[in-house]
Amino acid sequence: MIVLSIFSLFIIILLLFVVLFIFLMYLLVQRQRESYFEKVRDRYLQNYSQLWYDYLFNNALFSIVLVPRGRAQVEAIERIFSSYLKNIRNEQVELKIKQFSNQYLKAFYEKDLSSRRWSIRMNALYRIADLQIDQLLTKCQEFEKNNITDEEHFQLLKIYSLFQPDLFMEKIKNSNVNYAESEYRRLFVLLDDNVFIQFFHDFNSLPANMQFAVIDTAAVKRKMEYLEELKKLLDHDTTEINIRALKGFYEIGIIDEMDPFIPFVTSEMWEARLMVAKIFRHVPLTYTYSYLEQLLQDENWWVRSQAAKTIVEDRQGIAKLQQFIESSNDQYAIEMAQEIAARKEGK
Amino acid sequence: MNDIKFTHDIMQEHEVERYFKIWRESVIRSRLTITVVFLKTANSTQLNENVKDQVTSFLQSKIRKTDLLFQLSDGDHWGIFFLQSSDLEARAFLKRIFAILKAERKFQQIALKASITEIRSNNVIFEELINKNKQMLSGDEQLTWSIAEVKDYCEQPTELVKVSIIEQNAIFRQVLESTLNQINIPYFSLDVKVYEDGYSFLQSDDYKSGHMHLILMNDILPLKNGLEILHILRHMPNEKKFIIYMMSERNSEGAALNAYEGGVDEYIVKPFNLRLLEAKIKRTFTRFWL
Repeated sequence: MIVLSIFSLFIIILLLFVVLFIFLMYLLVQRQRESYFEKVRDRYLQNYSQLWYDYLFNNALFSIVLVPRGRAQVEAIERIFSSYLKNIRNEQVELKIKQFSNQYLKAFYEKDLSSRRWSIRMNALYRIADLQIDQLLTKCQEFEKNNITDEEHFQLLKIYSLFQPDLFMEKIKNSNVNYAESEYRRLFVLLDDNVFIQFFHDFNSLPANMQFAVIDTAAVKRKMEYLEELKKLLDHDTTEINIRALKGFYEIGIIDEMDPFIPFVTSEMWEARLMVAKIFRHVPLTYTYSYLEQLLQDENWWVRSQAAKTIVEDRQGIAKLQQFIESSNDQYAIEMAQEIAARKEGK
Repeated sequence: MNDIKFTHDIMQEHEVERYFKIWRESVIRSRLTITVVFLKTANSTQLNENVKDQVTSFLQSKIRKTDLLFQLSDGDHWGIFFLQSSDLEARAFLKRIFAILKAERKFQQIALKASITEIRSNNVIFEELINKNKQMLSGDEQLTWSIAEVKDYCEQPTELVKVSIIEQNAIFRQVLESTLNQINIPYFSLDVKVYEDGYSFLQSDDYKSGHMHLILMNDILPLKNGLEILHILRHMPNEKKFIIYMMSERNSEGAALNAYEGGVDEYIVKPFNLRLLEAKIKRTFTRFWL
């Protein structure tokens, strides 16, 4: 049994009170600082939002009072800029924000990059990209040499893609980090077309995730110049790439020749047959009907359904389906044709 | 080419007045611009009844089904009401018929002069309208085949339009408010109000008044989102008074299609150009009047 004298017990209680008191004081000071920070930030927003609007949109003269004094005012400016950049597209405004940030905010973010806290470094990297602070590019390259996380590396790639696309191409191809498809798509969608198209030139040397992201991004960008590149991928050895390329054609919606797609009507992969049935929506039914009739009798339900939907989209579609219903012996195909035709007529 | 059928089936001045009173009220209510053309023969004293009948029949054959030809009680003037037409269309009509009358031999006895009155206000009395035009056509100074113009009723009254901006981001809300307050649209004055969420907009009851109402809202809003507000407004009995612009960060065809099918008039993807928004709003209002 531990025996404590009353005196020692008193000392322990006293110590605990002291620690508690110090902790309470710390919390109070922190709260006070936070509250002061918010007050300064909100006051800046209240006093200078209109001045910022006049400077950025109405070509009013720049006032020196807009230059931030301290972190709280920097945060207020970040809020103003991010509201504008997120909601309004205006090259003049973007340029003014870029110039201001390079001149007056650069020092704050440069210091943040050296912070020991990951969240502060990440925030700085986000702001460098959003506010286009290209004068920090060299600092970013130095920062990359540190022991950084994958998230920071990803953000650096985004910065390189914005400020120096050649460097971005070099870094992404030699990167040791394998990002998810969605992350690659987020990077690629920001690239200019002349930079992005380079990925097709070295397509086979890219990791699979990047290959898929390249095809999907081309589909989202919907540019004519990617059609030829996608056509080449229809002959690729990997089925997944064939299917994604077909999906790209469907998304872009321009089919200038039928021949590359005909082999997929008899593909072993039902997903490829499904995609080709979808693609034929963009071609007049006169040219595609014989293939769609074949797909309407496919063994897979999704393919049959899509073929019927594609046929019915055409002005002559319902008549064609009726004709098919009367002449076919395939009960599954007839039922599908009847269902889709009835749904269309019900509209 | 123009085989004229002689007919006396034409409305008289006193019969037209009743219709005019109804149209006059529609000018403001339905923003229906009316243009009246008055015609008089340049040599009326020498004309016999046959020639007057010939003019009547000729005019009857040239007007559209939506136009109304009538004869003034003095027998020397003809009037034509062009509904939903501006003075430009009436002037083009006159030029066309004058050219036919001057070119064809069978009309060589006819020489006309005309006056045009464009009506965009309901502050007009039928008798006064007739007298002003008669006066315009009575003097000898107006040349044959010429077209005079009475401009007393062509100014439309300024209409109050309520504008509601529903946007969560306070800074952007302020930008939109400033932008809309600065827009100058002829004959429309904008009364701009801002709301930070859908619920406060619905609570305001501001949307229940009969004024034309421009709504500029985000698709995603706290408490009541944009699509819910759209649904409520488009199911009101007088939903046509709302012009709804929806702003969204979603740049997808599906989202736009969904919004248009729900009843938005414009779907604007963020970030967008403020000047483009201004131009779209101006264009929307310009379409209301001819």
